Amino acid sequence: MKDKRLYRLLAMLFAFALVAAACGGDSADDSGDAAGDDDQAVDADTEDEVVSAGDEAEGDVDTEVEESSDVAVAGGELIVGLEAEIVGMRPWEDTCGSPCYNVFVTVYDKLMESTEDGSYEGWLFESIAPNEDFTSWVGVLRQGVTFHNGKDLTAQSIADMFPIQQAGSQSQSQIAASNLANVEATGDYEVTYTLSQSNAAFPAYLSRAQLGMVWDAEAAADPDAFNEAPVGTGPFAFESRDLDNETILVRNPDYWMTDENGVQLPYLDKISFRPIPDEGTRLDATLSGTTNVAHTLRQNTIRDGRSARDDDGAEITMYEFQGNNTGGGMFNVLVPPFDDLRVRQGMVKLNSQEQVIEALGGTGISLPATQWFSPDSPWYSEKVAAAYPSFDFEGGKALLEEYVNDPERSDGKAVGEKLEAELSCPPDPTLIAAMQVLQQTLEQTELIELNMTNYDQQTHINYALGADNGFVGSHGAHCWRFSDDNDPSTTINPAVAPPTAEIAEAAGLPGVVSPLNFANYFDGDVFGAAIGAISTDDFDERYALYESIMLKIAEENPIWYSGHTATALITDDNVMGVTSWKLPSGSLGAGMPNAEGRWQQVWLAP
Amino acid sequence: MGLFIAKRLLRLVATVFAVTLLTFLMTSLLPGDPAVAVLGAEGVQNEELLLQVREDLGLDEPLPVRYVSWLGDALTGDLGESYINSGQSVSDTIGDRFPVTAQLAIMAILIAIVLALPLGVLGAYHQSKWPDTASSAVVQVALSVPNFITGIFLIWLFAVQLEWLPASNWNRMSNGLGANLKTAILPATALATTQMAIFSRLVRSDMIATLQENFILAAKAKGLSNKFVLLRHALRPSSLSLMTIVGINFGALLGGTVVIETLFAIPGLGFRLINAISQRDIMVIQGITVFVAVVYVLINTLVDLFYVAIDPRIRRS
Repeated sequence: MKDKRLYRLLAMLFAFALVAAACGGDSADDSGDAAGDDDQAVDADTEDEVVSAGDEAEGDVDTEVEESSDVAVAGGELIVGLEAEIVGMRPWEDTCGSPCYNVFVTVYDKLMESTEDGSYEGWLFESIAPNEDFTSWVGVLRQGVTFHNGKDLTAQSIADMFPIQQAGSQSQSQIAASNLANVEATGDYEVTYTLSQSNAAFPAYLSRAQLGMVWDAEAAADPDAFNEAPVGTGPFAFESRDLDNETILVRNPDYWMTDENGVQLPYLDKISFRPIPDEGTRLDATLSGTTNVAHTLRQNTIRDGRSARDDDGAEITMYEFQGNNTGGGMFNVLVPPFDDLRVRQGMVKLNSQEQVIEALGGTGISLPATQWFSPDSPWYSEKVAAAYPSFDFEGGKALLEEYVNDPERSDGKAVGEKLEAELSCPPDPTLIAAMQVLQQTLEQTELIELNMTNYDQQTHINYALGADNGFVGSHGAHCWRFSDDNDPSTTINPAVAPPTAEIAEAAGLPGVVSPLNFANYFDGDVFGAAIGAISTDDFDERYALYESIMLKIAEENPIWYSGHTATALITDDNVMGVTSWKLPSGSLGAGMPNAEGRWQQVWLAP
Repeated sequence: MGLFIAKRLLRLVATVFAVTLLTFLMTSLLPGDPAVAVLGAEGVQNEELLLQVREDLGLDEPLPVRYVSWLGDALTGDLGESYINSGQSVSDTIGDRFPVTAQLAIMAILIAIVLALPLGVLGAYHQSKWPDTASSAVVQVALSVPNFITGIFLIWLFAVQLEWLPASNWNRMSNGLGANLKTAILPATALATTQMAIFSRLVRSDMIATLQENFILAAKAKGLSNKFVLLRHALRPSSLSLMTIVGINFGALLGGTVVIETLFAIPGLGFRLINAISQRDIMVIQGITVFVAVVYVLINTLVDLFYVAIDPRIRRS
């Protein structure tokens, strides 16, 4: 009997060891360390790594974009593990996030590209210039560029794309957002874009997939066939796609671009993309040599990657990027109790960003956010950072108390009755942990009953979109992400435009409705500033206008922020050129924003 | 016998019909609009386009009409087209994915049997002695650790630490059997551990019962070696219920590889199903769910018929 117990105990210990080995980080050095010592070490690290809003990001959480003096070596194959499979290969039709963008930039060249300083320069366009009021833009294509099927790229190729883009579900919205009315070939290599209204930021739209990527319109006439065999002018030509397993692209031998030493690009012979949805497996695939690159948009993976590199000596390089993309949430300001400023302000004051970031696993990785721009963005404003409410339990509680005791409270409840609110996030364990932090703090006030709900990503978006109720949505407090590294107009302008037909009508803007204003917050002055910011190309003027919008948001709190989104490309040590790629003009490129690599100038060190 | 088979087949048809109806209803009840999933949050800005996509997808029809239309097509083998990956037939998707999932399931079952038989026999022969306790401990561990945890452990050990095997993705048979097996062995082993534990327990208990039978005593009395008695006389009668459970579990594995396929990024039915769910690709969800259910029901029916064929008592009853 005793023997049996002993063996059972041993079995349980073995099982526990197996689970612990599988679940635990790779970093722990167990040799002789007492558990208490380990705990202290973790706490100390956490304290050291807290970064405050407004801290200089460079060096802490960003990999610097810089020129490289290394001489590139041609040849070799690169395997990239992506977060998700891409929907399709048609830029005008298929939704395209960060994983997809990595694949698209290998097949398709863009007309414009973003530089290290956030400005835009020509890629396939040698030059582009507006008329005086920014209602017309004339771009001149570079010559000698051919599609993968051997056809020459001309201005007519760009004009021929337009009717397909007008019907494409993805391009169509960008055409509307950019005010684009017509595209015409006004010379062999001269393209004229006519806009319905001014848009000084129009080149930004030519740097993204929907309007900026160039493909053969003739081949695209059969969209299903095109999806199986896409034709662009990019550095790699499509070879095969095994859905959910691997997409393989091979070097385009006729690619037009050379590096500054005259070596024809791309350097690599072949590049493969593999969707690996599990974050741990994707990192392990790179650590084990199954892939050369792991793409991630998750703080936990960045933390694990750092740990593998620093503690286990893994020979990997972390290309980290702290972008403008900001996590947090929004209030549906058309529904009680979020239609009341006191509730929104109170809840924002009760949001401890540091605790939320810690719950998200982002301590030392993500910066707390106060606006749609990260501290190293040219659009970042110290004034906004100072204006955004910091954590203040008593202040937040007082505001909620005022609402709860108001006989005219908007939710119709009796004076003194707790207010009820819904907080919803996608069912990600880290997001749920962050929600629990917020819930705990809010419920400590004893003034609010918070119902937490989790729906899958698509349902989460659908509830906020409200396609069936005039775009009001059926959300309350809703986890969300804001902003990106494109020109501010591309994300801010639709987010502050009239959210419903009724509001547009009341504001004297009939027909100007933006379903992308998910918080449903509308202010005539804010929208006016957004319009003003695309009517001039003067940076200082535009900066002041977007700063005024951010200040208003910090004051009216239709949204709240947790931290900036950290993203990374985690590579083998011999993968070079990720941050040092250049535009045809010689300007340094934007690096790897949102973990989107530019693979034509990446090479493998021997 | 004929009547029994007819009854079973009738029950099979009724079950499959119920499965299609339930699957259709449940996927239709999922919150959200598939047309919005197709267009994306940005594409939905154009209401005309939204209505057009709904019409193209047949979503403007009443639910019963959609069901009857879908069922009619399904009976001819046409499970519709993916909403998201346009132009891709669901039947083709299943045709591409099923061999991958089936291979994983077959390999998992084989690995499980190969490991379970010696463990079960060892436990039964040395009942209540240390080899039995040790094998029970192994079985206990295999039962209590979820297979995705085993998968993570296998990746860590064989891919990251030893660098013997790839951590993810799939080499198709067309790339060579060796390359294929290299990508299949870890996920199949992860799937096999729980099966191995179940099989081993079954073999052990059946064999303990068999070893009490008179014919075993007679074989031993004849002076036959223990090994001979175990393998030639005891193992076969102890394997009947194992064969039954293998059949049933194979069917269950076809629908149960979702987590392991996602963990290892293997392009099987489970991985596609998960992607389809997250993309609201309802035709793919319906098609795969119904296919897996039909295969499961078919396998169960075959197991029932197999039982009848080998056991006259069931036939008579």
